[in-house]
Order: sequence, then C-alpha cells, then structure tokens
Amino acid sequence: MAYSEKVIEHYENPRNVGSMDKEDPNVGTGLVGAPACGDVMRLQLKISDDGMIQDAKFKTFGCGSAIASSSLVTEWVKGKSVDDAVQITNKEIAKELSLPPVKIHCSVLAEDAIKAAIKDFQEKRAKRQGAATTPAVSPSTSTQP
Amino acid sequence: MTHFEIFGLAPALDLDVKALEQKLRDLSLEFHPDRFAQADARTRLAALEKTTALNDAFKVLKDPVRRAFYVLKLKGIDLENDAAAAKAKMPLEFLEEVMERREQLEALKAKRDVEKARAMADGIEKERSSALEQAKAALGRDDVNEAAHQLGRVKYFTRFVEEVEALEEEALS
Repeated sequence: MAYSEKVIEHYENPRNVGSMDKEDPNVGTGLVGAPACGDVMRLQLKISDDGMIQDAKFKTFGCGSAIASSSLVTEWVKGKSVDDAVQITNKEIAKELSLPPVKIHCSVLAEDAIKAAIKDFQEKRAKRQGAATTPAVSPSTSTQP
Repeated sequence: MTHFEIFGLAPALDLDVKALEQKLRDLSLEFHPDRFAQADARTRLAALEKTTALNDAFKVLKDPVRRAFYVLKLKGIDLENDAAAAKAKMPLEFLEEVMERREQLEALKAKRDVEKARAMADGIEKERSSALEQAKAALGRDDVNEAAHQLGRVKYFTRFVEEVEALEEEALS
C-alpha cells in the first residue's frame, strides 16, 4: 500500500519519541491498542497545574500510519490547553496524513490516546486533591497508634 | 456463500487441512477456466469467479488462526476489518504487558541478540496457542466477546513473533 508523503516523513523522522515518568503527578499516560493489527501506542503528556500541555512524548509499535498519527498528535497538542486537546478528532488526523480508509483506525487510536492521557492526568489530580483534603476532614484517625 | 459453503462444509473450528486440500484440487479441476474455453462469456466469468473464491476460501480455512477470526466474523464480529470491532478495548494490563515486551524486544534488536529474542518468541508462541484454544472454546459456546478478546491477544502475540522472525531473517542476510 502506498503511504502518503506526510506519513513517510513522520515515519522516518518521528517527533517526540520517548517516555516520561508515569509516576510524575503532572504526567498523564494514555496507553491504547488495536487488536485489528496488534498495534500498541503510548502517549504521555506533561500538563501544568493550570491545564496547559507543556510537553508530549510517544512510543508506538505498529505500522507507519500508527507511528505517523501519534507523532503528529505530539506536535499538535504541545502548547494547547487540555480542553483544546480533547477536541482533536481522528478525522483531522486522517485528513492531515491523507490516510486511506483501511488505516483510519490508526488515527482513531491516536485520538483515543490523547483522551486517555488527559483522563489519566485528571484522575491523578483528583486523587491527589482527595488525598490532600482527607487528613483535614478526619484528623483524629492518623494520630491513633 | 461463506468460505465453508464453497467447500460444502459446515462452519467448524477444526478442519482436516489435508482433506481440504484434496477438495480444493477436485473443485479447482471442476471449475478450471480451460474447461469453459468454448462456453459463453457469462459461463466463463462464473467459472473464473468460482476459482478465485475457492482460492480465497482455502487461504482462510487452512490457517487455524484465520479460520477462527473468520468463524468470529460469521458470528457478527469482524475483528480484522471493522473499525468499531477493532476498537474493542483490550484490558490495560494486557497492553502494558505488550508495551513492556515490545520495549524489551527493541532493546534486544539494538544489541542484535537474536537468541534471547527467539527465546521470548518461543514463550509467546505458547501463549498464542493457548489463547487460540481459549478463543475456540469461547466460539464453541457462542461467547463472542471472550472469543474476540482471546483473538485480539492472538493478534498481538502473532505480531510479536513476526517481529522476531524479521529480526532472524535480518541476522541471516
């Protein structure tokens, strides 16, 4: 199958390949996969406390279209707010990369990865805030020997 | 007509591939385009289509993995081509395991450690066989969701083994 110029370009020079510390409270990790092709894609976003995406890294084991889709979204989300990043659709990704119909699921995967990473960040933050307020609500429990 | 019907078979997860091959030969002769060289265009075209369909069906049915995917498709889940079905979520723990193993393999590739990569592939081939058996059992009791899940695992394991095979070929050349 013929890949578009843009897919080849991203495949040969993938942007932002790598990983971040997934324990970092400001890092959201999205791990998604498509059983149709056996691909696995990890997208990590470093998000500031005010919800701006400062950095993005990805690691994808899959076909050229899956690699290009994830490489592209790391470029797109950087500098965006979380609210703007979740608006990115697979259609935009597929259009930018001129993906053929059989490869649309690669762009779906990339969209899902963004959403999963942001959800992970938000869940972490909620948990952290929950943990921070718990001792204040019930101070008596921690002092018991 | 389903691939099974073309061969006059009922849908089955286990097939005698030798017998299937014999049937392919018999049917191929029966519909061979040469036998219809004098026939009208419509008949010739029908014979040609039949031959193509036979070959396509054989390719799917002779391979136990593709056969299982096909039986699942007949039961309504097209895991290979349908985007919605393809999105069927694999559990996060499984994806983490896949990612971890692929990263290990990547490191072995960088070191050109074919032996360790083969050892990993051998282990994964066992897991693939067991996942395929579980998929077949699930298909047998019409549990299509479990079958789709197990066949999804089969797909991931297959992809891994293929990567190792590519590495081995590269090392030989």
